[in-house]
Amino acid sequence: MRAILFLLPVALLLGGIFAWLFLRAVKSGQFDDLDDPPVRMLEDD
Amino acid sequence: MEGAADAFCCGGCEAAHAIIHGAGLDRWYAERTAYAPRPEPLAGWWDAVPVETGADGACTVHLAVDGLRCASCVWLAEHVLQATPGVRDAHVSYATGRATLRWDPAATDLPALARRIAALGYRPRPLTEAASPDRGLLLRLGVAAFVAMNVMLLAASVYAGWWGGMDPAFAALFRWTTLALATPVALWCAAPFYQGALAGLRHRRLHMDLPVSLGLVLLYGHGLAATLRGHDGYLDSMVMLVTLMLAGRVLESRGRRRALEAATALAGSAPRTARRVAGDTVETVPVAALAPGDLIDVGPGEELAADGVVTQGAGQVRLALLTGESEPVAVEPGRRVVAGALLADGALTVRVEATGQDTMLQRMARELERAADRSLRPTAADRLAPWFTAATLALAALAFGGWYLAAGLDTAIMTTVAVLVVACPCAIALSQPLASAAGLGAAARRGLLFRSTDALLTLNDVTEVALDKTGTVTEGELAVVRADDATLRLAAGLERHSSHPIARAILAEARRRSIPLPRATDVRETPGRGVEGILDGGRHALRSGGPGVVELTGPAGVVGRIELADQVRADARHAVAALERLGLRVTLLTGDRAEVAERIGREVGVRSLHAGMTPDAKAAWVRARQRAGARVLVAGDGLNDGPALAAADVGVAMGTGAASSVLVADGVIAGDGIMPLVGAVRAARACERAILANQRRSLLYNGVAVTAAFAGLINPLVAVCLMPLSSGIVIWGALGVERAVRRDEAAA
Repeated sequence: MRAILFLLPVALLLGGIFAWLFLRAVKSGQFDDLDDPPVRMLEDD
Repeated sequence: MEGAADAFCCGGCEAAHAIIHGAGLDRWYAERTAYAPRPEPLAGWWDAVPVETGADGACTVHLAVDGLRCASCVWLAEHVLQATPGVRDAHVSYATGRATLRWDPAATDLPALARRIAALGYRPRPLTEAASPDRGLLLRLGVAAFVAMNVMLLAASVYAGWWGGMDPAFAALFRWTTLALATPVALWCAAPFYQGALAGLRHRRLHMDLPVSLGLVLLYGHGLAATLRGHDGYLDSMVMLVTLMLAGRVLESRGRRRALEAATALAGSAPRTARRVAGDTVETVPVAALAPGDLIDVGPGEELAADGVVTQGAGQVRLALLTGESEPVAVEPGRRVVAGALLADGALTVRVEATGQDTMLQRMARELERAADRSLRPTAADRLAPWFTAATLALAALAFGGWYLAAGLDTAIMTTVAVLVVACPCAIALSQPLASAAGLGAAARRGLLFRSTDALLTLNDVTEVALDKTGTVTEGELAVVRADDATLRLAAGLERHSSHPIARAILAEARRRSIPLPRATDVRETPGRGVEGILDGGRHALRSGGPGVVELTGPAGVVGRIELADQVRADARHAVAALERLGLRVTLLTGDRAEVAERIGREVGVRSLHAGMTPDAKAAWVRARQRAGARVLVAGDGLNDGPALAAADVGVAMGTGAASSVLVADGVIAGDGIMPLVGAVRAARACERAILANQRRSLLYNGVAVTAAFAGLINPLVAVCLMPLSSGIVIWGALGVERAVRRDEAAA
């Protein structure tokens, strides 16, 4: 059972990394415009 | 074109430039650029634009940009801006018509950038709305969802510990971890609800955020107190509640933003300046300075700035914006033209009759804005939720008071929390969205994509269907109906380089029959009249030979005739019959002539039809039917259907139609045909049945469970276990929607 003392922070840390990645993506504007990328798909550059 | 000299987005644009250049019309570009220091709309508006200054000193601004016609326009605008010295980053969105610019204030400024955009022929203007507010919501949702998942795991172990026994030290660790995780959710993620509740209180209104906020505060307060005293709180329920409600908010704000943008884009699509004739000279004035009675000059490729009557000149006007008919219409003195129409060729002098807010275009824009407001209409769940939660809170208060007097504070708190948790409107809040999502999915698999669940639910109440003709019941493109190969060969040779709709139809048919095209020389195309040239050693000409017919004449007179028509969609007849079997009255609305409408009506089996209708008349017809008690579904493809789509209870646009009609509609048909309408009606009906059944189930559950909790028969732990059970019942009910639709289809 003492493994929990170790596993709990690890689980939170892993989850936290994903949450942080998501927040960073939102802040960098990746979710601002969900309609545009399909229109741009065929551009060459 | 300034520094962008050879940066063409595509062959088409390059060719267009070559044509303009070749025709000696470079002056046109010069004139457009000269519009830059326009007196009225352009000068000074940038003072009102909020410029954000970042930590690195760079300025950021969000602008609306009008006149972006294709993805290539976006490419061009973006690349020219990025190549401008001082610009760090430029992003232009096609879907929303917005530009985000980041620049170094030392090297350039906003007016210079705005002029740069204007020089490309696009019109920058301030956004009427603050920069997207749902970024904040999304951040809150992300945090809440992360916490919810972890807290759920912790809670599951804690509850399991009630039976299996748990080391008190671990139980305490889990409780404190839960509290640590839940605290930011209660304080930060749920802040929008508190703000909404406070704003409602200030305006003395029972906002639905108020009971929600009270519930959240109570749950968190109890959880905090319980953790401090070494008991279990119900923070997991609180976190889950916040997460689900935030998810709802995010989806809602997305839909609302798109509707608003469609309306503002149309309002901004009219030109800002006009060339007014003053005696012998022509001066460029802002549209606001025009008055009825003024004369304005309109050149090729320009949009009309006001409604009026042609006094001089001739040309072809493209009215696609207003009528949805893509074919240019020939105009001559005496004809009425409207603002927003594009002069395809020729030159006109127009006597102004209506300007600004009185033009057809602005009237349509107002209709669209009304449609945007409509998307703010609360859903059935929104209407129900405050009452439900208020009742729950009242019950909880009653339980607290009663048990406090009867058995003391601790029992009172436990009972109150049990009532709050067990009555958590999760099942009711979920019953509608889940069934709707299943209904939306069922409709989407049949080809109709709805923007909101509300539209799908409204579809149930619809009693009649109004179909636009061009592009909805018909393909929207001319096609050759009858022609012999010899005539077609010569006609196609003449039309080889034309892009006129009739030419396209003839060329497509010739290609289909694999007819090799002869080479025509000395080809002359007279807009609105026809085309002539030398073919097979003789002069041939192609002219109109009455409605829907073109005549080919050779040196010795008429050689042959080609009949063209707008083809009825293959599934139209079947779809109309199916709609009528579902008990819906089908009407055909069209701006076209009565005889064409009647022919199409006979072909698809529609008995009720109205021909010669303007966009306003279509909307007026819809409203008249609504006053008579009908609920109307309108399906159309052009912007001309915008007012009718907006007035309709449910507006459905063709995915191939004008972009703005797609944005203003409640739903979009993906692909060809109108059969998806039938599938959607079936899906909506199955969905409604599922929702009613779900609501009955969850009300029953809540009724029984709340009564039991109220009576002190349920402790909070049992309540927490019951909650997912009720949600499970609701999920199971929602899964039946697709099956029910298939059953209906098999039966039909």
